[in-house]
Amino acid sequence: MSSRRPRSWQSSSASRITDEQINDLVSKLQAVLPEARIRRSDRVSAAKVLQETCNYIRSLHREVDDLSERLSELLASTESSSAQAAIIRSLLM
Amino acid sequence: MQATKSFEQAFLKQMLLGIQLSAVSHGSGSLQERKSAIKLSADVAMAVARGSKKWTRGLIASLSKEEQNRSFLQFVLGKEFERPAKICHSSWKIPRSKNIVRRSLRFLSKRKSNIRAPNSSVLAGTLVEKRTQVLKRLVPGGQSMDAFSLLDETLDYAACLRAQVDVMQKLMTTLEASKHRADSDAQRPKEKFHLLPMVGSWYSTRKGLRKRLSKRPKLTL
Repeated sequence: MSSRRPRSWQSSSASRITDEQINDLVSKLQAVLPEARIRRSDRVSAAKVLQETCNYIRSLHREVDDLSERLSELLASTESSSAQAAIIRSLLM
Repeated sequence: MQATKSFEQAFLKQMLLGIQLSAVSHGSGSLQERKSAIKLSADVAMAVARGSKKWTRGLIASLSKEEQNRSFLQFVLGKEFERPAKICHSSWKIPRSKNIVRRSLRFLSKRKSNIRAPNSSVLAGTLVEKRTQVLKRLVPGGQSMDAFSLLDETLDYAACLRAQVDVMQKLMTTLEASKHRADSDAQRPKEKFHLLPMVGSWYSTRKGLRKRLSKRPKLTL
């Protein structure tokens, strides 16, 4: 696997990045992804991890977008006093 | 990412500040404008709560490209907003020319190979290469990162995004709950007003009171 490292992944002139470091990051990334997507087997290809990561980030972006819309609707229709009460309560959580 | 709880709290505080700044609660402006304002507050809050990382700087940079975001960013970031821009101006020249050189070299090597096969592009050879390019576009500031930094920043960025979603969700739940409470509170006072005169008339006559109490269930006001 180390010999087939893609061109853009070869270490820059600045520092020597070892294969081990890169593999370590890839496995950490795999751990962050929602478990349903990837089975936690030993050898999941880097390409798969990257693809799942991209999908994950995209879905999170969509969630933020959706939540922003719903929050803006909610804030517009809520009276300011109860909104402030909710804000205080949120801060105390 | 360690210390998620403290990040979440910092994010929430910063976001609420941002929401108040943009005065979304007033209900003015179109839905799209209000949504953009909330999203802006959320993104700035995330970057501020995280601190100095490549992706946070990339995020602020891309947000500041939009004209309508500038005054908000100026207000929230203050001096911080000014400084990076100044540094960028001097260092922008170098990356730009590097990119041009890189791009022209790629173009030249493409022409050299001169093969019409669909997948023989120098740029996106392996699958990992392709996916890396996609990831670079998704992570703010990713275009100028080397592979190692990209992976590292992606880890951090994904964790922060997750926390951002969680906190926004919690905020919404709390707001919804308080709204329900406020709505039901709005109904109850009317009932109270009805009851008060009745209570007054009960105490006027003892006979009437005993009689009425026996008929009606006990009231708790």
